[in-house]
Amino acid sequence: MKNLKIIISGFLVLGTMLANAQTPKGSVLIKNATVLTVTQGDLEATDVLVENGIIKKIGKNLNANNIEVIDASGKYLMPGIIDAHSHVALDAVNEATAPITAEVRMADVVNPYDIGLYRALAGGVTISHAMHGSANAIGGQNITLKHRYGTFSPEDLYMKEAPRTIKFALGENPTRVHGRGNGIQPRTRMGVDAVIRNGFNEALQYKKAWSNYENALNQRGSNPVPPKYDSRLETLVDILDGNIIIHCHSYRADEIYALINTCREFGISNIVFSHVNEGFKVAPELAEYTMGASVFADWWAYKFEVYYSTAYNAAILMENGVITSINSDSGELIRHLYHEAGKAQRYGELDDQQTLALITINPAKQLGIADKVGSIEEGKQADLVIFNEHPLSVYAIPQMTFVDGVKYFDINDDPDDMRLKVSASEALEPIYLKEHEHRCMHGVDFFFTNFGRNLFNHTH
Amino acid sequence: MNIRFKPKVFSSLIFMALFVSLHTFGQSDPKGERRVTGTYAIVNATVTTSPGKTINGATILIKNGLVESIGNNLSLPPEAQIIPGDSLFVYPGFIDGASGAGVSKPADPERPADFDSSNPPDEIAGITPWRSVLDNYDPKSSQISDWRKVGFTIAQIIPEGGMLPGKSAIVTFGGKTSSNILANNTAMGARFRNVGGGRGMYPGTQLGIMAKFRDLYKNAELSAKHNRLFASTSGVARPEMNKTLEAFFPVLDKNMPILFEVSNDLEIKRATALQREFGFNLILTGVTEIDYALDDMKASNAKVLIGFRLPNDKTANADLEGKTEEMQSRTLKIREAYKSILEGPSKLEAAGIPFGFTSMGGRSSEMLKNIRLMIENGLSEDGALAALTINNANIMGIQKFAGTLEKGKLANMVISTAPIFSEEAQIQHVIADGYLFDYDVSKKSKANGENGKTIDIAGVWEYTSDTPAGSSDGTMEIKKEGDSYKGTITYDNPAGSGKASSEMNNITLSGNNLSFTFNVSAGGMALEVTVAGDVSEDDFRGNMSLSDFGSFPLNANKKPNQSNQ
Repeated sequence: MKNLKIIISGFLVLGTMLANAQTPKGSVLIKNATVLTVTQGDLEATDVLVENGIIKKIGKNLNANNIEVIDASGKYLMPGIIDAHSHVALDAVNEATAPITAEVRMADVVNPYDIGLYRALAGGVTISHAMHGSANAIGGQNITLKHRYGTFSPEDLYMKEAPRTIKFALGENPTRVHGRGNGIQPRTRMGVDAVIRNGFNEALQYKKAWSNYENALNQRGSNPVPPKYDSRLETLVDILDGNIIIHCHSYRADEIYALINTCREFGISNIVFSHVNEGFKVAPELAEYTMGASVFADWWAYKFEVYYSTAYNAAILMENGVITSINSDSGELIRHLYHEAGKAQRYGELDDQQTLALITINPAKQLGIADKVGSIEEGKQADLVIFNEHPLSVYAIPQMTFVDGVKYFDINDDPDDMRLKVSASEALEPIYLKEHEHRCMHGVDFFFTNFGRNLFNHTH
Repeated sequence: MNIRFKPKVFSSLIFMALFVSLHTFGQSDPKGERRVTGTYAIVNATVTTSPGKTINGATILIKNGLVESIGNNLSLPPEAQIIPGDSLFVYPGFIDGASGAGVSKPADPERPADFDSSNPPDEIAGITPWRSVLDNYDPKSSQISDWRKVGFTIAQIIPEGGMLPGKSAIVTFGGKTSSNILANNTAMGARFRNVGGGRGMYPGTQLGIMAKFRDLYKNAELSAKHNRLFASTSGVARPEMNKTLEAFFPVLDKNMPILFEVSNDLEIKRATALQREFGFNLILTGVTEIDYALDDMKASNAKVLIGFRLPNDKTANADLEGKTEEMQSRTLKIREAYKSILEGPSKLEAAGIPFGFTSMGGRSSEMLKNIRLMIENGLSEDGALAALTINNANIMGIQKFAGTLEKGKLANMVISTAPIFSEEAQIQHVIADGYLFDYDVSKKSKANGENGKTIDIAGVWEYTSDTPAGSSDGTMEIKKEGDSYKGTITYDNPAGSGKASSEMNNITLSGNNLSFTFNVSAGGMALEVTVAGDVSEDDFRGNMSLSDFGSFPLNANKKPNQSNQ
């Protein structure tokens, strides 16, 4: 397998080179803002100097030649907001045809023209975690996107430094799609755990088959036959080897705890739970054994397993030491994650630093990119948002959004129509009253036809 | 191995030999179908031998299916049938880079009792790279005569099916007695959509298709490696033969390109990304949204086939004055997008990417009209002709015997009444594989000639249409409203007995070309049917195309005037 990996990574390097790895990097001096660093407190009337996409200096009375200077007096500067669970800018969300589809990659179906990226920028979001849907027990490999809106190249959006992540899903969605929809495993919550466990065990056998083959290759006189290549199992091996972070769609405490145990059994600690409406019941376990929980502020009751929910969830988790973030899972919520974080503060009485951490440094930790983004610190990538008011005020409106020091959103200067690609044949693009894009269960309505009703049309 | 004499096989061989010889050497030709001569001379015509090279007053001698000679002072053999070319323009026969003409979809195999939708057998999952398009090709299909009528003489036909539908072949559109096959297994087809919309089984979406493609490709490489090891060394477990993986072998060896069907620029990027990963030879077909993927195509060195279908100009009649500022700017953006589609081919040309045309998704009746639009938007006439001839010959690797008019090349040519890309050009003859096909050019001149008035199409029309399912008929009622037309069409109700009717949309009359669309709902699916063809005051001859199901002739006559008001 080692050879194979070298070959594959060789291709990746080649691919990157061919694709002009260089994405735009900007330089800018933002003067006199209230700087909310998130990790190092709030700094009044402070300047931030960005050079070549990197935060070079934070201080007073900074000067620089030949770069744009923005006067942010009376305004607030915070790190770019990070959404740890999103489906924006994807042409397909669910390969809902098999209970394990670890081989599929969201990177393959990134759509750089999605206006949702610009709307997210207008809400101060600079990074989103473009995820596979929740139809399968083990879904596809996600891609962390930097919102460099304006490029025609999907690869320009990839945050190449981000580690690999993968989607898992527990509970009603995978059992509904496969068990009830297609008559195959898993049909119950037990089945979901069994599917995951079987997958890991098969991956171990696969790993062994390849290492036996490679060992035999080095022995004189042996003519080993190469095993079958299976990118599904190959990916599961990478999870077991700690090279991929799991982001698991989940609601109920019992199955969250069960998956924690399964992961411990297989030596996996790189796991983040998503949604986690009952997370408050297993907060100490989440704190000890996982990379945290990414929750909604107050979204629940859209199906049976999400009735036992509370707006105090984020606060309880955080106070118990769980790395907690608030995500959107929606092309709409992504535009005002700062309000969503504000709700957690309103109920759980978190302080400002804790609350802002929910949408900046904490999701960065869950995506494995906290050393590069998620706070305003010298040496970090210059993903920044200027707000007119404190971002946790209900009057807050983002004014400018920067990614790598390049301004991608300006509330005053941008043209009204920011679409990158316009259809020549649709005089008016269709607008849907019921949002049916950008959701976890995107593309799987098909499976819902022969049973029961779909409560409130919510499909998370 | 034992070879035993099998009388049964032997007798059938004798029978075949007799049958074949009877067919070939028999004296009778009761229907008088056999042609008198295969030798033709087109005398004193304007001959464009290849893009940019034209000889005036030239004669072309055709013999045995080949161009025997081209020149100004040829002596002609007595058996040559003379075609006076004094006012005619001769071009190399058109070559279609990718065509579905005459190709049908293979029957779906039955699902096994233990069918598992998460791991279906390849054949059911649309993975049939071992298939040959020739197994589902009907050389007598009326679609072939449709395309020949607009100048096509050679086509690369590509199979129908799922993500890896099979291997393509190159055929000529020649005479009835030949199989007309020039080459088999010329490319391996691939596409980003799968059978049945793809939701029912793996791989269902582009996510799964990309992943499955990678797995198949890597396993084909491993399987080839295993085969080599088994052939060269003893003591190696025997390889498991797998026809899917074996079908990849010529692709791995770069003896066969992958012909990827794409439908937008993101699919171009996905196909070129796979090519970067694996290094296969790539032909992109159906290339569109050229502006957005020019760099990717250039970097990949992929060969490019573009369709000539163009969207309707939605803003042609837009009244900007009466609109709000927002709607004005939206309308201008749509106009810009439309313009950019028309300019796409000229941008490919400017970027130095040689491209050919494919008929896939296009309609024969619109071909020359749409190519003229591309020429008006910057594509050179030579570039357009190259895209119909020599570029496609190069892409398919048949330039040795096709693509230009030269001594020794296959006798394929298009003969028109005026320069081929001029508005008044009509195709009078097509010679395909040395066979002469004549077309009536009187009708159009009459329709156009009548004091240049626009044709009055309003009224009640009765049409008949021939489909594989049989002949059907109905009426079209067209009314003029201001500058545009409205209408309804009736047809046999697909969901039972009697007639159903639909509104006719996008009724467009341009010169003597009439086109419109209508929607039929059949089996819970909404199908868009497109009808286009030539119209005169009381006569319509055209085709209707049904999304992916093919195109069928549709002819109509206007009812006399008492009912037309």
